[in-house]
Amino acid sequence: MSRVHQLKIGVSGIRGVVGDFLTPNLACAFAQAFGTYVGQGRVVLGRDTRSTGEMLEHAVTCGLLAAGCEVVKVGIAPTPTIQIYVSETHAQGGIAITASHNPPEYNALKLFNREGLFFNQYERSELLDLYHQSDFHRATNAEIRSVSVDYDTAPERHIARVLKNVDVERIRKRHFKVALDGVNGAGSLMSVHFLRDVLNCELHAISVDPTKPFPREAEPRPEVLDDLRALMKECGADIAFAQDPDGDRLAVGDETGFILDNDEVLAMAVDCALHRVKGSVVVNLTTSSVIDEVAHRYGCPIYRSPVGEANVVDRMRAVGAVIGGEGTNGGIIFPAVHYCRDSYMGMAFLLDRMAETGKTLSALAATHAPYYRRLEKFTFEYGRLGPIMQELESIFTGAQLDRTDGLKLIWPDAWLHVRSSNTEPVLRLAAEARSPERLEEIYARAERVVNNS
Amino acid sequence: MGTEGNLRISQVGLRGIVGPGLTAAHVLDFAAAFGTFLDAPGKIVIGRDPRASGIMIREGVIAGLLSTGHDVIDLGVVSTPVIQHAIVRINAAGGISIGASHNAAEWNALKFLGPQGSYLATGESGELLDIYHLKKFAFVGHESVGKLQIDRTAMDLYLDDLAKNFPLERLKKFKILVDCTNGLSALLLRRMKERFGLNFVLFNERLEGRSFVHEPATNRKMVELQLAPLMKHVGADAGFLFDIDSDRVALATETGQAVSEEMVMVLLADEFLERGPGKIVIANVSTTGLLEEVAARHDGRVERIAVGRQATIDALQSFRPEQIAIAGEGTGAIMIPQFRYVYDGIAAMLAILERMERKGQTLSQLLGSYPRYSILKGVVRLETHKIPEMLFALEQFYPDAKRNTTDGLRLDWINRWVHVRVSQTEPIVRVICEQQGDEPRRLFDETMEIVRSYCA
Repeated sequence: MSRVHQLKIGVSGIRGVVGDFLTPNLACAFAQAFGTYVGQGRVVLGRDTRSTGEMLEHAVTCGLLAAGCEVVKVGIAPTPTIQIYVSETHAQGGIAITASHNPPEYNALKLFNREGLFFNQYERSELLDLYHQSDFHRATNAEIRSVSVDYDTAPERHIARVLKNVDVERIRKRHFKVALDGVNGAGSLMSVHFLRDVLNCELHAISVDPTKPFPREAEPRPEVLDDLRALMKECGADIAFAQDPDGDRLAVGDETGFILDNDEVLAMAVDCALHRVKGSVVVNLTTSSVIDEVAHRYGCPIYRSPVGEANVVDRMRAVGAVIGGEGTNGGIIFPAVHYCRDSYMGMAFLLDRMAETGKTLSALAATHAPYYRRLEKFTFEYGRLGPIMQELESIFTGAQLDRTDGLKLIWPDAWLHVRSSNTEPVLRLAAEARSPERLEEIYARAERVVNNS
Repeated sequence: MGTEGNLRISQVGLRGIVGPGLTAAHVLDFAAAFGTFLDAPGKIVIGRDPRASGIMIREGVIAGLLSTGHDVIDLGVVSTPVIQHAIVRINAAGGISIGASHNAAEWNALKFLGPQGSYLATGESGELLDIYHLKKFAFVGHESVGKLQIDRTAMDLYLDDLAKNFPLERLKKFKILVDCTNGLSALLLRRMKERFGLNFVLFNERLEGRSFVHEPATNRKMVELQLAPLMKHVGADAGFLFDIDSDRVALATETGQAVSEEMVMVLLADEFLERGPGKIVIANVSTTGLLEEVAARHDGRVERIAVGRQATIDALQSFRPEQIAIAGEGTGAIMIPQFRYVYDGIAAMLAILERMERKGQTLSQLLGSYPRYSILKGVVRLETHKIPEMLFALEQFYPDAKRNTTDGLRLDWINRWVHVRVSQTEPIVRVICEQQGDEPRRLFDETMEIVRSYCA
């Protein structure tokens, strides 16, 4: 039986079901550890729209003040917006209170260093040691600093960075008809402003009230976007966007009402980016080979990293990539804006490309060769991954092997990737092939291994 | 071995030096414990004094209360009586006052208030402590987490109530000099000046978060240093000195005389017994014997209790409100039941001014009507385990005295008493000795000698 983890304190920070598991006491202590770690300077704090966000914001503020930090609250803001604000204002670090695409009962702290980047693995383990040792700085009355509020300039700074990388006038002239599902998330108000006022789109928006709960599953998977599909049909939109609660992930629908695969969206974004500036591309191991095709078209190198935003970003920095992302979860990372997943840059890229080419989104998507993909979760017990990897290796002979993150088997016309999730006790089995038959063949064999071990 | 503590968790609440003693974790745990102690939902009113650490503590208190399903109403920087007034007004479940009152700036504390706005009684705070120690808090799910509201009207509504209880119009003729000690009295008195035209001359009225212009102690020595020398210069009719939370008050007369802190209670006992003859004055065993004399004038009596706020709260609960004239301490912390069951220095000040007005007498004339009492105080450091023996020896030594063991040992003769009390915070014994007229030198020296003979 799998054990459901309702609280996880680990290298990715602290995440759990708020109430009996993720308590304000824990959040406060973690924030105090964070404040001790980054030092007694300014720390930026923002959050998504979850009902527990306000409570945790107070707990985190308490911990940061207790560590002697000055707290700058940006209020409800998308995660990339908070990250950009940290880097632009030269803060010591930042915290976003968001469980991203997790259900509403969850919440979490995302931690950023002074550059506004997710902590790397070394920073994360140092912080965790400090947290466990409870060796916090404890500011005295003379050392305690203040809380200030800046709710306005964070979105502006973010939007300004995005606009530098597209032709704003060309987008504005087209007056695109855009459908938006904001999941009542942190980007709700900013997205409306961005699409309607800044990019002059005819906007048809649903779920853009940050005071209301999430009306659908938080992760913008095609299966949960029926309301957006209905809206697209009703208003005849040129393009549709769906965000997750903290505005880092993006799902995209075309003018036919079809929600594109995330790998397709990433492929288009990579195309847009390389079309402007040529350079390296970094994606995770589970991302579609369609990205390789796009990169090769521009003669650009492509690198693969383990799954996880922080891993992709680390690799991007190492190779000086111009774009990167994770096809599996709708994250586009464009360093010219910031080293973070950013739904706003994604939106702008696609609109700009449509404006430039005069093509519909479906026509743009059709330029990529078809790939067939399958990705499923299996509950499993930790410790079973090793035997599964051994078994897969022995039954699939002749494949090229990559052991960076679980096991990836690569053939000229297909690949298979098995790994364990960083956040839940699940095993993820992904495969991709040039034909549906080939996909079914390798997936069925691998699935048997997973189920029988 | 006793130590000079920088953290104290007791039935009075949580109190300590922020950083080395009182930490964010204590605040979160205590707020969550209080949120668990009061059934959710139910609004909880909070406020704080101007200490810088109050900003940090406020955040933790809000988080702990919201997470246990309570809506929080934050009154901002206000005194405890304003919080207590708001609790009753909006029918809240309780309140938390953040502030260390008469302690130095590096201290802070949480005071817990029940649904009637009064401090928790010993039984209730014992339950709160149990929850705190068990750390089993009633955190609610994401759908029931509370919301924060900000309320900036509380001070004015409290002042409305004060205006109903005191004849402010008739007090306008007094020129009143006040040392606010950088505390909350400044906010209240400035507003009263604006709204009701009272003639306050305020100094040290800037609220400070880091350090106070002088120690926020309300005693004769402080009045002598800070307030009394200015009285004649300003031409004030009365002078008052408040601590940070303005729950305690000390006095200076129009002639520039610093008044013993014990006299605040005496004046108020006289006033409220005159209005309600036969009532009870609740005072601790260390407070002046002049109270008995004043009580006798109005057929009232003094109920002597142990030292400390908690004993006062418990005593108040064992009488009907209409039985009580006032309750308080010789430190200038007084509760006027007609107004509120909370120490309220502003109400105490207004009651004294009202007495001056009603009697048509100056403050020094009012004080001159009481016989002189002299007090001697001493401190002896003593190992805690020797205390019972020492107290017994004293009892044996004075077989003719009336014995009271409410708090340590108090021995009474006519117009003369000695109280030997064990500090709750340090391994020391306090000897307080009072006599009508001249100093009780012989009794004091004898007692001190006996106490000292038990030192190692």
